[in-house]
Amino acid sequence: MFDFEAFFRQFLYDPKNPLLFNNGFFVFFFALFISVYYLLRNNFPARKYLFCFFSLYFFYKASGFFVVFVILSAIVDYFLSNAIYRQQNKKMKRSLLVCSIVFNLGLLFYFKYTNFFIATCNELLKTHFNPLNILLPVGISFYTFENLSYTIDVYRGHFVPVKKFTDYLLFLSFFPKLVMGPIVRASDFIPQINKPYVISESDFAKGFYLIVSGMFKKLIISDFITQNFVDYIFDDPSRYTGLECLFAVYGYAVVIYCDFSGYSDVAIGIAKWLGFTIPPNFKSPYQSKNITEFWRRWHISLSSWLRDYLYIPLGGNRKGVVRTYINLMLTMLLGGLWHGASWNFIVWGGLHGVALAFHKIWKQKTEKLFKPVENSAIINALSVLITFHFVCFCWIFFKAADFSVAGDMIHQILHDFDFSVWGAFFNNYKPVLALMLLAYLLHSIPDDLADRVIGRFRKIPLLYYIGVFFVFVLLYGFFKSSEPVMPIYLRF
Amino acid sequence: MNANRRVLHFVVYAITIYLLTSVVAAALDWKWKPVSRINLISDITRKHQGDDFNGTDSLNNHDTSSLLTITAPFKDKASDFGLYRTGHLITNFNIDTNTVALERFIKKLYDLKNGKMQKIRIAYFGDSMIEGDLLTQTLRKLLQQMFGGNGVGFVPITSQVSQFRTTVTDNYSGGWQDENFKTDGDKSRLYISGHIFRSNGDWVQMKDQTVKDTSAIIEKSLLCGYVPHPVNITVNNAPVTIRANNVFNRITLDKSKNFFIKISVADIQFPVYGISFEAESGITLDNFSFRGITGVEFARIDSSFLKSIAAENPYDLIIFQYGVNLLFRPYDKNFSWYARTMMPVINKIKNCFPESDFLLVSTADRAFRYGDEYHSAVGIDSLVKVQALLAFETGSSFYNQFESMGGTNSIVQWVSQNPSLANKDYVHPNFRGAEILGQYFFQAILNDYEKYSRTKK
Repeated sequence: MFDFEAFFRQFLYDPKNPLLFNNGFFVFFFALFISVYYLLRNNFPARKYLFCFFSLYFFYKASGFFVVFVILSAIVDYFLSNAIYRQQNKKMKRSLLVCSIVFNLGLLFYFKYTNFFIATCNELLKTHFNPLNILLPVGISFYTFENLSYTIDVYRGHFVPVKKFTDYLLFLSFFPKLVMGPIVRASDFIPQINKPYVISESDFAKGFYLIVSGMFKKLIISDFITQNFVDYIFDDPSRYTGLECLFAVYGYAVVIYCDFSGYSDVAIGIAKWLGFTIPPNFKSPYQSKNITEFWRRWHISLSSWLRDYLYIPLGGNRKGVVRTYINLMLTMLLGGLWHGASWNFIVWGGLHGVALAFHKIWKQKTEKLFKPVENSAIINALSVLITFHFVCFCWIFFKAADFSVAGDMIHQILHDFDFSVWGAFFNNYKPVLALMLLAYLLHSIPDDLADRVIGRFRKIPLLYYIGVFFVFVLLYGFFKSSEPVMPIYLRF
Repeated sequence: MNANRRVLHFVVYAITIYLLTSVVAAALDWKWKPVSRINLISDITRKHQGDDFNGTDSLNNHDTSSLLTITAPFKDKASDFGLYRTGHLITNFNIDTNTVALERFIKKLYDLKNGKMQKIRIAYFGDSMIEGDLLTQTLRKLLQQMFGGNGVGFVPITSQVSQFRTTVTDNYSGGWQDENFKTDGDKSRLYISGHIFRSNGDWVQMKDQTVKDTSAIIEKSLLCGYVPHPVNITVNNAPVTIRANNVFNRITLDKSKNFFIKISVADIQFPVYGISFEAESGITLDNFSFRGITGVEFARIDSSFLKSIAAENPYDLIIFQYGVNLLFRPYDKNFSWYARTMMPVINKIKNCFPESDFLLVSTADRAFRYGDEYHSAVGIDSLVKVQALLAFETGSSFYNQFESMGGTNSIVQWVSQNPSLANKDYVHPNFRGAEILGQYFFQAILNDYEKYSRTKK
């Protein structure tokens, strides 16, 4: 039976069911958008209005009236950036930039960190402030950073601010990346806005590959492993053996990568189909041979942002050895805090900061020593393994609800491992382990392989694409309806 | 060549096919799940009510009706089985809800409260829901605060969760052998904890963390089985010779203000069960948790052995809380086999512990993922009813924990709440949730108590 009321309700924001790429609604949204976009492709202003409208509507469906903040911050930063550009007086220029930073960070701090500071204050100073009832607007961490990089680039003279407000609004609200990134730089993006809608055959293939593989990573691998294994263990590690805990950490490493990079890939793929190129955000990070390399492959849009707008302004490595390490630590601690308002994320960032510093020193001291074995497969494999395990260790803090859970997790792995439960563990979690293995195998494929293969694509009939798409859809349906894997007791 | 047209074509064709398939599937009412779960128009078509949860309220009566033959204790009383549905109530199904359910136990509580020095001992049996002393630690604390008493009660020698149980610090050497419900071999002499421990030179040390009153005298007793010869053990590093001549023995090792004990045993023939920390008067509450069981395991333990436990180590109240491990498949609804298997077990326990009141606590809520969302197990109402029938039929009292925690979908609510009250396995309340369950349960006991104390005024 067709339900009219439910039909109309679909167009409104539903807090229980915010819009994501995997909603049925998105399918219709995208079909309508692409049809009209195609019709208007040669009328640049109309195309832009259409894009802004759909993007803001997407955001409304994803987070309700918080869409106001996207528009508000677009207005403020549009005017401030133009004012900064026009202003000749250096001091004035600077104070305008400060205005922009205070405004953007102020919004972010209010929504994201107020309660964290209240809780910390209550704990340290024994005060009794009540936490406020604040909801976090979706995507605010991402678009705040985009606003900041924009005004800072204008201030530095790297970039001439856009004359048309809609150009800026589109840059900020571009729907593929609005909710979960990547963090796009204006200098990459804005020049593409007023270009003809042209994509090559390999762009089409690449876009398709990114969208389907991204959805596969996010909706099949990540969701299945999270729901059927990782959440059980991380919720209460003390009920489980060290073996289960260790595999839960390996599982979470897969989950966080597939979740995050999957969403990025879908965003980049959709953008590609619409004629926009967004640089890759993840490059098989677990293949890294050291932690510095990891950060060049992991969430690249964030790490490069932190480098350009935090580490370098702090002085980078130009102010002596001690300052370099202090800057590195500060950058990573704040980078950690960016991920969420909790001490766990700060510790996570801190651990990475220490590791980056350690690697810097290590490299200076041992570069000559390791020169002869630079290309040794064994040394490289060992480096990858060590780096991967360090990253996994840090994920424990990233995922655990609090330090006591993280502590329990580590305690179980170190003191209560129990190899003997492997058989029962394997039998119960076979599908989960199979997906984990698949994910690691896919991850170990060299980065440029997909590009090289796709680069060789000549025109393949559309039917093949449609076929692959429906295989994916059915697979998704199959996993969505699969009977959940239940945790079992391995010991009594 | 510009491939932008291909994007449009792909999207339009793929989505048209997808949409048509969805419409056809909805019109023909296809039930094949991989298709029905991803139906594009499922949000805007009216669902058949309760496709997944069919039958939650229409309990198949044939499952349980065979048990509905009212027997002895209820013959001359007006009883109302339907009382089992009421949350926060300990009921013996007496239609007059002003009567006390746990008669002997409540009377002893009343006497204790009014100055009579005596021990009141409670055995709380359960599965992983009470592991780590969850729920029972709250109940013990509240009962001891109200009625007096000290000590954590029974502590097994080793346990999977000893590192995380906050009411006892338990350290032990690695050589203890553990025979239990889940290992091979004879189960007839397993202790009611479900374990026997043996050792050839191992030690264990325990510290009761519940005792706040440093002037309290705590008895530390060794609970152990039969061994034909005298055994040399050490207690707090001093050698002691003990005789365990009975099938079950309770040997007081120390009686002092210490709430710490260390023993070592070097006799593999000597079956050791655990140590009990008790005060001379007041409430003692033993937690007997064994993960993954349903209670039918007690059928394996010898009746004569149980009787000697009852003689040496009597209980005023025995509580059974099982059920969640029966709900291990999402669509199970028929639990009559459980009723058939469990009935003789309860009768046997009641028979072996004739001095004890017996209280059956229902399962708490548990949920499964049905399609996209978590929902209480479709069989949960049926299971709770079977458990109530078991209580009714055996003349035991009943406490509906499922209803008390909030009924259908309360576990879903507990998981999603911030801070959460339950784990994402949608089975186990965490320590915050267990604390609430413990408080509810205490309150229910208190209500029963007040019914009695009102008659005394």
